[in-house]
Amino acid sequence: MNRSFTWQPVEPEDWRGEVEELLRQGFNYFDFLTGVDCENVNGDPKCEVVAHLAKPDLSDSLFIYTHIIDELASISDLIPGATWHERECAEMFGIRFNGGATQLLLRHEDLGQPPLRKTTVLAARVLTPWPGGAEPEIKEDGRKVGNSSLRRQRPPGVPESWLKP
Amino acid sequence: MKHAFIALIENKCTSCMLCVRECPAWCIHLDSHTVDVNDEGARRPRKVNVLDSFDIDYSLCMYCGVCIDVCPFDALAWDEHRALVTTNREDMLLGIDELGPSGNS
Repeated sequence: MNRSFTWQPVEPEDWRGEVEELLRQGFNYFDFLTGVDCENVNGDPKCEVVAHLAKPDLSDSLFIYTHIIDELASISDLIPGATWHERECAEMFGIRFNGGATQLLLRHEDLGQPPLRKTTVLAARVLTPWPGGAEPEIKEDGRKVGNSSLRRQRPPGVPESWLKP
Repeated sequence: MKHAFIALIENKCTSCMLCVRECPAWCIHLDSHTVDVNDEGARRPRKVNVLDSFDIDYSLCMYCGVCIDVCPFDALAWDEHRALVTTNREDMLLGIDELGPSGNS
């Protein structure tokens, strides 16, 4: 198999047409479809949807991707196996796949925000005390020794805006 | 070496908190205090951190190994023995006594 992966950008309105065309060209092996939240990558409030299609003998494969706000045409009628991936993508990234299945896959319906979007605040990260916030240098009488105040007081990966009251 | 367990080599730990602060699962809890050590001939006492408790909550740990990577003193290491299989979540919280490398525990 060709190990250098080929990536091809697709306009959102051409998404279904592109998949149809690839199926005609013999890319019948559907590997996966997933989303990527691009918000903090380039300041773009868009989501990327990526799909990987290959020829059944794995002689050639192609990643197609498109940038969307929140909706895209479903390809689940062209590739029934894509339904699962679209449902997962829909509930994790809040993307609507028009014409696809609408029922939730894994998530509870009351969960609210799609968990893999960067704008979604993870409640456990806000409510749980960070074990790294403990300061071993503070003595029982409250006296500080060492340079503990120079330490970052924010857990890695947790945006500052989450911690404001 | 199997990556089945993260062991603590207690006498190498300086309570620097790096593992606690870098753990993405927030599953390490460390408590320590400082004592003054008077070395002979030294002008003032030396501060030494003493480890009071070190717990890894294996119900949260995802075995990513970040703590092992960041430890500057190699006080954490992959180990072959496994965390307990249990139906009780509290049993997954292992302290200093249970975290020793295989051979010592």
